[in-house]
Amino acid sequence: MTAALAPAPSRRLPPAAPARLLRLELRRNPMLWLLPVLAILFWLGVYRPAMANPPFWNVRATDLQHAVLFLGPLLAGATAWVGSRDGRLGLTDLVGVTAVPRWAGQLTTWAAATCWAEAVYLGGVAVVYGVTAEQAHWGGPLWWPVAVGAAGVATCCALGFAAGALLPGRFTAALAAVLVFLALGGGAFALQNNATYAQIWLLNVQGALPRDSYGIFYPYLPDLAIAQLMFLAGLAVAALGALGLPAAAGSSWLRGAAAALTAAGLAAAGTAVGLAGTARLEAHGIVIPALHDAASDMPTSYTPVCSHSVVPVCMHPAYRSFLPAVTAALGPVLDQVAGLPGAPVRVTQVAVTTVQQESSNGVQLGGPVIGGSPPVVYLPLAGLSLPGEGSTTAQFVEALRSQDAPAILNTLVGLSGQQGLPGGISAQGYDVAPPPGPRMAAQVAVAMALAKVAGLSPGGVPLADDGRTPANSTRPGNARNPMVKGSTSVSAAQLAAARRFAALPAAMRRAWLVTHLAALRAGQVTLSEIP
Amino acid sequence: MNVEIAGLTRRFGRTQAVAGVDLSAGPGVLGLLGPNGAGKTSLLRMMATVIPPSSGRLRLLGRDPGGYGPRREIRRRLGYLPQNLGYYPSFTVAEFVEYFALLKEMPSARVPAAVATAIERTGLGDKARARLRTLSGGMLRRAGIAQAIVNEPELLLLDEPTAGLDPEQRVSFRALLRECGEHATVVVSTHLVEDVGAACSEVALMNQGKIVFHGIPAELIARADGTDAAGDAPLERGYSAVLAAARSAAGACA
Repeated sequence: MTAALAPAPSRRLPPAAPARLLRLELRRNPMLWLLPVLAILFWLGVYRPAMANPPFWNVRATDLQHAVLFLGPLLAGATAWVGSRDGRLGLTDLVGVTAVPRWAGQLTTWAAATCWAEAVYLGGVAVVYGVTAEQAHWGGPLWWPVAVGAAGVATCCALGFAAGALLPGRFTAALAAVLVFLALGGGAFALQNNATYAQIWLLNVQGALPRDSYGIFYPYLPDLAIAQLMFLAGLAVAALGALGLPAAAGSSWLRGAAAALTAAGLAAAGTAVGLAGTARLEAHGIVIPALHDAASDMPTSYTPVCSHSVVPVCMHPAYRSFLPAVTAALGPVLDQVAGLPGAPVRVTQVAVTTVQQESSNGVQLGGPVIGGSPPVVYLPLAGLSLPGEGSTTAQFVEALRSQDAPAILNTLVGLSGQQGLPGGISAQGYDVAPPPGPRMAAQVAVAMALAKVAGLSPGGVPLADDGRTPANSTRPGNARNPMVKGSTSVSAAQLAAARRFAALPAAMRRAWLVTHLAALRAGQVTLSEIP
Repeated sequence: MNVEIAGLTRRFGRTQAVAGVDLSAGPGVLGLLGPNGAGKTSLLRMMATVIPPSSGRLRLLGRDPGGYGPRREIRRRLGYLPQNLGYYPSFTVAEFVEYFALLKEMPSARVPAAVATAIERTGLGDKARARLRTLSGGMLRRAGIAQAIVNEPELLLLDEPTAGLDPEQRVSFRALLRECGEHATVVVSTHLVEDVGAACSEVALMNQGKIVFHGIPAELIARADGTDAAGDAPLERGYSAVLAAARSAAGACA
């Protein structure tokens, strides 16, 4: 009865003990039961849509970052359930009087739940990237979007777990799931309402840029991803730090550290939001000046794949499978102009030509550009619905032909977008805008005739009896063609000249063009002079 | 003394659960008796460092649990079975006991043997791999006792440990208590005076937050001499006599 004990020296926690605790939590974590549900959600929400898209690494990576939309709410709810475990099961007293700080025990439980969630996510990433490796013609996996997705998963788990541990209750899990879902939706809403800080939104990959316009011709810009990682890490650290604030969590030193962690997490998240507020959309992605590395602006090197047509069409090897369709779309027009003075000698695919941010998180992309000497058509496909992205190959060919082929003719005869046939193109390197006047009528008539001969769709050049082209109509995919805003009236005389010229034998028409194209472009040919 | 308590009080709002308890205990088994609401569980929870006292002095295993460092050291050497035992339904018995062994910061190398020993001592050897959700109430109670003794505590606090145990289990549990009491201070809160008589070397009786008797069981039995206290067994009669005396004294004071 009188065994007064001398204080024993403090023992350090053996290194293996945390690992054994984690192993126990991993084996008996309720998240295990959710694995099939999470896998099904991933398959429905990520894998199937990703596989429906063309096998571009950047497109698939974007889908992987978006996975958190499908997994996040469920994970938050599930981890809230896990976090409230001790409270629900009446174990608070029992675990509260153990030597391991309560905070450390909770972090172990969170880590186990997060490990399973990450296992599902990263397993899904492995499958998607594995399939993409088989399908893609060029490039390799992008890891920044995956890192953001993985951080999003961990953060959803941390937020849910903290909610469950700090506010254990019957409805905490459901509330956590709903709140995370609303937060994800609210980010999109804020972005739509032009809140620049909302660029930090977890599902925002490269702003409103089409998914195939970044990460191929130029390196993937990690600026926004870095800010998002900072934001997510900050939120997760703050949530997990908050677990260490209650008096029962541990020593005053430990609680001080938890408070410092919470504050640091909130500061990091706030800083990330501030950085996102400085983001601007550029041609190859979102740039945050404070995080931007100029080396990312250097184009990636690649060997283009080219068609063997009269005017070669050269594309990025990632787009190798679309080369026949692009050649088929532009071939008829290129055949008509090949070899003519000032006609393009090659079509080269580019990422984008110009990008202009618009309200409501919109973006306006420039159309093709002709420049250089000899002239080259720089053709962006961004913004077009590629085969596999909701359109068939035939629809893609038709869209490309109706949007971009007329522009080649406009440039050839010296018309600007407003003056000529509907179609988006601008020219660099030589003057294509003649002085306005009646002589422009000849240019329109020749362009119409060449379009007719090339078999362009009625949406492009109708040669209709009412004498009007639908130039004031908005092109499909007009977001990439800001130039077509005016209208061109076609007189009966123009129509007649166009029909007359189109009816000429090809050799005669070509001979006339070789002789008169310079004069036509300079506005020195009248309608009556057209054969 | 492993337990040194002086003037200990605990208040929950307007309710005075523990009202100035003085108690000391060394190795051995101390039975804590008392009617419902006497303050036994509150006293045990303070001794288990679950809740701090409102006032008074509390030293456990030679340390003041008011400081985090000493409290952590006490917790390493503490075993506690709460009145309402929660459990993780998906854990097996062995995992449940191992979990608490690790939380008590037992050296990893010792954990497997300690878990096996604790499970055997509580008679759950054949159920070591059974999920807790599949066990009966009595088996769950034994699993709770196993986690309490897994670290071979120097201070073992058991709140209603025999609730739900069948007579055979209670007999073997009393033997376990006596065994633990040879080296450690065991405090058992119970309503069952026969457990006290069979296993406890000391007994304390609480009423209205105060210790109204502290002595050996024979002394408690002797308190019934010359009274017409109710009870089927001598210890019960002693319990009733002390309680009646305490109540009349309290009434007289009022």
